[in-house]
Amino acid sequence: MMMVILAWKNIWRNKKRSLIILAATVIGVTSGLFVIGMMSGMYDSIVSSAINRELGSMQIHTAEYKKDQLISQFIPVPDSIVSLLRSHPDVQSVARHSLIEGMASSATTATGVMIFGIKPEDEKQVTSVSQSIIEGTYLDSSQKANSIIIGKKLAEKLKLKLRSRIVLSFSGLEGNIVYAAFRISGMFQTNATLFDQTNVFVPQQDLTALLGTEAPVHQIVLRTKDSKILEQTKSELQKKIHNGILVETWKEIAPEIKLTADSSDIVNVIFLGIILFALLFGLTNTLLMSVLDRVRDFGVLLAVGMYRRRLFLMIILESFFLSFTGGIIGVAFGWGLTTYFNVNGIDLSVLSTGLSAFGIPTMLYPYLPSVVYRNLTIMMIITSIIAALYPAIKAVRLKPVEAIRTI
Amino acid sequence: MALIEIQKVNKIYNTTSVAVQALKDITFKIEEKEFTAIVGPSGSGKTTLLNVIGGLDKVSDGKVLLNGQDITVMNEGKLIDFRLHNIGFVFQAYNLIPVLTALENVEFVLFLQQVGKKERNQRAIELLKQVGLEDQADRKPAELSGGQQQRVAVARALASHPAYVLADEPTANLDSHTAESLLDLMQDLNKEHGITFVFSTHDSKVIRRARRVITLEDGEVTSDKIS
Repeated sequence: MMMVILAWKNIWRNKKRSLIILAATVIGVTSGLFVIGMMSGMYDSIVSSAINRELGSMQIHTAEYKKDQLISQFIPVPDSIVSLLRSHPDVQSVARHSLIEGMASSATTATGVMIFGIKPEDEKQVTSVSQSIIEGTYLDSSQKANSIIIGKKLAEKLKLKLRSRIVLSFSGLEGNIVYAAFRISGMFQTNATLFDQTNVFVPQQDLTALLGTEAPVHQIVLRTKDSKILEQTKSELQKKIHNGILVETWKEIAPEIKLTADSSDIVNVIFLGIILFALLFGLTNTLLMSVLDRVRDFGVLLAVGMYRRRLFLMIILESFFLSFTGGIIGVAFGWGLTTYFNVNGIDLSVLSTGLSAFGIPTMLYPYLPSVVYRNLTIMMIITSIIAALYPAIKAVRLKPVEAIRTI
Repeated sequence: MALIEIQKVNKIYNTTSVAVQALKDITFKIEEKEFTAIVGPSGSGKTTLLNVIGGLDKVSDGKVLLNGQDITVMNEGKLIDFRLHNIGFVFQAYNLIPVLTALENVEFVLFLQQVGKKERNQRAIELLKQVGLEDQADRKPAELSGGQQQRVAVARALASHPAYVLADEPTANLDSHTAESLLDLMQDLNKEHGITFVFSTHDSKVIRRARRVITLEDGEVTSDKIS
């Protein structure tokens, strides 16, 4: 304990010097944590918005559809699969999609789109399209036949307004071309421009009427209750669903999103590493100056019987106190700043065009995953030890008889 | 068996240009409870001799027996341990730890000896009483006068129950009144508690009080007088 007290008191021998390195540590850690909080918030919202918008927790398709995405490659008995899914305790909600590639045309222009045939009430439980309506209304059973909702971006591209007519054309099940006019009942805007430009949603019953047969189901999207047991739920479901039907988690469907989620921890560690690496030199310099100022004291300590290993430990402790005092204050500030903006959000709407190209929401809610605190603690311990090594080695190599005579 | 026995000790400093012989065939014994001064002009080798006796400096040749143990064959670790448990040091510039209080400075040696907190605190207070500084226990060295600091240094030197105390020019930085007062204290400790003191000095006040004076010139003992 006395060694701890001595080390603590030693770091305050030269207050200015210690305060400078403390300030550098506080600023470094605070800003580092805040930036990590921003990045974590961004990664998290990229992942969660992709899941909410289109991916769901899991998707089910036929193996053939995964390869060719043809209208004929539908799930043969979707109702039994949906019943099975709904009976699983971890499945929260299920939605069926008819997915048909086609063309959307206005009076002036046309573009390729993916036509989603949906059951509007089921869809509400699975994706966030219903919550992204910015003009008009979402699809519901009270509306007239051939209502459609499209992305605001697509409407702009096709120069269409709410209530305008839009013509969809696509290949039917028999290879025939189907044309149909729809009236725009609502427009949605998500944080992904590409999604808004390329997807339209119509009631499945309208597709049934157009195709002359029950609208084929190409995709079943489901949300689970507990994301931590996603893989377990998937394997349980896959065991029950056979005959070339694939159950895939969002991580398998969108590996690029999974990479974003997985890489955040690594990016955070690298970022912290860069900050602490810069601080390491400042800390080493402070400790070295401190050691050089105390050569005579160390000579006395060695003379009166202090083991060299204890002297070494004392300097490590000094480094530890210096870095952790700054670190703890920095963590407090970083946590405070991140928490404040987590509640209030950071409005990045001035960058909305660029951000939505990458599917990043314009309101950012930074947060610090608990693993960051653990990583920071481990990295600060390592940094404080490395920073103290050279000064400590220099101190323990002193010869007491020479050191005592140092002025 | 003598407390300190120096046998044909030579110390040669090899500088880049020339070898300097600081000690030449020094041989003498110091018994327990002595109050001995090693004197001589600057450069005569008295500090080197004190360092050798204190296990701070290696000899080039010869033996240094302390309580019968030859410290010239001890490795670094054993020497540190030996110094910790057998030798008290008083330095010219006091050399207290500036961030610790007087009490903590005295306690520190006991801490190094791994004495428990309660015991070391009691002993440190007792020692500060002995040197007349019990009311200054909570002051840091910078808040004490030179004489008070040197008294704390004496208390620190005595904390480990050493076999003897080595004092290198202990009065050099003190005014004459304070120096006399410090010497009174050391003499009392010697007489009443039987503590052996070995001084390196050229201060006449110390020489006058020493019961034995060993004179060095050019690294050689030129006289060894017991009064």
